[in-house]
Amino acid sequence: MRSALPQWEPAQLPACGSPDRWGWLQQLRNLPELDPEPWLLALENGSLSIAPDLLAVLAERLDPPAQLRLLRWWRQQPDPDPGLPSQVLRHRDGASAAWLQEQLAPGPVALGFALPLSALPQVVAAALLPLLGHQRQVAAWPVLLCWMRAPIATPLRRAALEGVARGLSVWPRSQLVAGLSALAGDLDPQLAAPAVDLLARLPGARRALVPLRRCGLDPRVAERLGRRLAATPAQPLLLVVHGRAGGQLPAELVALAAELECRRGAPVRLQALSAAAPAAVPAVASELLQPGQVLGLVPLLLLPGGHVRHDLPAIVRHWSAFARVQHWPFLGAWPRWQAALARELAGLAMQDARPLLLHHPLEGPLAARYLTTLERRTGAHCVATPYSAEHLAELKLTLAAPALAAPALPLALAANRLTDQLAEQVGPPLLQRPGLRQLLLAELEALP
Amino acid sequence: MEPLAKPSKIEQAKAELCGLDLAPRLGDLASQGWESLDEATLTIRLKWLGIFFRPVTPGRFMVRLRLPNGVISADQLELLAEVIDRCGDQGSADITTRQNLQLRGLLLEDMAPLLQALEAGGLTSRQSGHDNPRNITGNPLAGIDPEEIVDTRPLVEVIQARLLGPAGPRNLPRKFNVAVGGAPDSFLLHNDLAFLPAEHNGQLGFTVLVGGFFSAQRNELAVPLGLWLRPEQLADFTLALLCHFERHGNRQQRNKSRLMYLIDQLGIDAYREELVEAFAEPVHPHDGSHLVSRAPRSGLGVHAQKQEGLHWVGLHVPMGRLDAASMQELAALARTYGSGELRLTEAQNALIVDVPCARIEALLAEPLLQRLRPDPSTLQAEAVSCTGNAYCSFALIPTKGVAQQVLEELEQRIELPEAVRMHWTGCPNACGQPYMGQIGLMGAKARKDGQMVEAAKIFLGGSMGAEPKLAELHEKGVPLSDLADVLELLLLEQFGARRREPAGF
Repeated sequence: MRSALPQWEPAQLPACGSPDRWGWLQQLRNLPELDPEPWLLALENGSLSIAPDLLAVLAERLDPPAQLRLLRWWRQQPDPDPGLPSQVLRHRDGASAAWLQEQLAPGPVALGFALPLSALPQVVAAALLPLLGHQRQVAAWPVLLCWMRAPIATPLRRAALEGVARGLSVWPRSQLVAGLSALAGDLDPQLAAPAVDLLARLPGARRALVPLRRCGLDPRVAERLGRRLAATPAQPLLLVVHGRAGGQLPAELVALAAELECRRGAPVRLQALSAAAPAAVPAVASELLQPGQVLGLVPLLLLPGGHVRHDLPAIVRHWSAFARVQHWPFLGAWPRWQAALARELAGLAMQDARPLLLHHPLEGPLAARYLTTLERRTGAHCVATPYSAEHLAELKLTLAAPALAAPALPLALAANRLTDQLAEQVGPPLLQRPGLRQLLLAELEALP
Repeated sequence: MEPLAKPSKIEQAKAELCGLDLAPRLGDLASQGWESLDEATLTIRLKWLGIFFRPVTPGRFMVRLRLPNGVISADQLELLAEVIDRCGDQGSADITTRQNLQLRGLLLEDMAPLLQALEAGGLTSRQSGHDNPRNITGNPLAGIDPEEIVDTRPLVEVIQARLLGPAGPRNLPRKFNVAVGGAPDSFLLHNDLAFLPAEHNGQLGFTVLVGGFFSAQRNELAVPLGLWLRPEQLADFTLALLCHFERHGNRQQRNKSRLMYLIDQLGIDAYREELVEAFAEPVHPHDGSHLVSRAPRSGLGVHAQKQEGLHWVGLHVPMGRLDAASMQELAALARTYGSGELRLTEAQNALIVDVPCARIEALLAEPLLQRLRPDPSTLQAEAVSCTGNAYCSFALIPTKGVAQQVLEELEQRIELPEAVRMHWTGCPNACGQPYMGQIGLMGAKARKDGQMVEAAKIFLGGSMGAEPKLAELHEKGVPLSDLADVLELLLLEQFGARRREPAGF
């Protein structure tokens, strides 16, 4: 075991205020080897009092077991210095993390406002919560969340939030987003503002931040949110859509793109599948994109038919020759879209009648699997509906029959032959339905 | 022969892995989790990327940039403002005594995107801490100074490029400060290596001074090396000198590892000979005389540039500390009224440059200038401070806060005809350069009424003029509660201050 050189023993430490003390401590700091044992012993037996200057030197030389030993000693003090743990607990190690967890796991109930002997003083909890986060152990997440949400004094909740900050990338992502999003709406800006800032650091931050714009935040927090969003500018988007005959763009989609462009503050363009590929793609790409920007290509297509499987890859290839393209899955595959369809259908539901989803006929095993999944997620029955005049006329009669009495929803974003001819039976296309339109706008707005 | 001492933990960590090798891994670390970093990497090696673990706030990091010659654009300042704005109350930026900026309150998760953004914005934080060549300073008025002898900006840029290039040092025994002077007031003798403008046979070049540094153990002004260089030789000579230091500097005792100790060991003549041999280019002997003749100007207020019709406006940044909002506003003002460029000074202030005559009045009316004043009191104008114990374990007092409070108190009591350079530092490590001040203040402890209290030592007489001199100890320990009274008396007796008339008279 290393032994302290006699001149560097605790008993030789010049008293606080002595002109020799700072230099003595710096020499101690520069010793190639320093055995902390005599120092810890002297603290524990009360022959030495801890002062910030001594602590700054000792803390650099403590290994994890020694740092934990000093913390345990500190925790037993009747009037513990709240500044000590952060200086001492610089190493991340399992034993220290477990000790912190043990102290804080009971949650705010451990505060013991009546101060029984075993109670956790507030000052101790506030000092330890950030350090629990610094340890970056995923098991600490529920503890930090509990303290962060509890109806306790703001400094303690802030300390828990600081713990969340210091281990940010370790926590379960969806729970983290939910927890921080809830806190962003807190009435106390001291909690809400850092919550917004932490959300802004997460990958794909726009998805978490954009919904907060509609949450009625404190004005200062809303300003902060605006700054965070401005720092993650939206990509230009290219929405690939079904056109009508001759490549004409349906009015619903044109209106959607215009509103989206306004909300994202970035260009949004439509490309109809039925139209010829724009000849001036290079010029359009350079008009849309700033240097270094990526073009988000979003297929607003509801089914994995031939367009998705064949036409779309060709479009992506075409644009990729002139721009960096981020290609998103087709809309029909988005879980939130499917959930919104289910909600829309639930609103149409009639007793004992399973609703129908009328879709353009599809071929192949992929399409079959998709339809099965969609039925499971929406509770509807998918019905293939050829768009020929003959088939539509027949369907019109079928749907009008009182014996069927099942509500039907057309799987068409914008008006087409199906919705034109069966308007009374199937109602408006999906983008003319407020819930679905708002959902789609919000999802597109939140894209990078 | 004595056996070699075992290398210190720091030397071991440096030898095992250079922090620069972490740069390509930052993205992976961000995605795989920073938990995988060992402590030596976290607390030592990351400093090679400019990332500083802060013992007072484990988990909240500092990033120190490199701003050669203290030049920064409005776009770059805005980028940095956004970074610290995301850190909320914990975020701030300090202008350093090396014309640099350091950002506080950052999380590890900020690092990968920040370093990418810095690169995209033409900035770097590389090798800005620990045993590396630190930010290279130059004349803050370079290129706009009517009194300019030589524009230091291109020289500083080339030196930085050389030192950070593939041949540059990656494992010095200790930190290293380099500076280039370009005006009659370029006081640079506190640097390990200073190039001061000097003539040789009618040709303008630089005389070389070496070995300046301040520490708790020893304070030295740089001494003439006895060489004169042409401007185009500075970068290669600096590289040769640093590579020599890398090979021969003391790695056994960190408190005796600055360049001056190597010079002591070799003797200045032998040291010069070794450098001349290592440099391998013709150099001229020189007597060390130079064209620097007076203490630095503050640069505050409105001043005509050498370009007709343009001015710089020097703004006082209290204690060098900026918050995100001030940085945003400062950037906007530089863009609106000037060319979008700013300069940072060693006195921790900021200059907006290239302001046309017609825009000066409007700039002076901007609300930000009520906080960052072009005409601060003579007490505040040249006050410099280290970080203090808010962020540094070794500071004995909260330096910036105390300094600000005491100066505001003195402003109420006295009028000072001319600015007095006051340097505040929290401990004997002397980061706030107290020995360079006309008045130097250093954190200490003292006994008052039987209690041990925070205090300050007072040093007097530092000069950065034609006859440079380090300040000397005047008072051993004045309790902070008495400091305003003691300083008031000093300023009245020795610096020509006058008591203000009491209000109502």
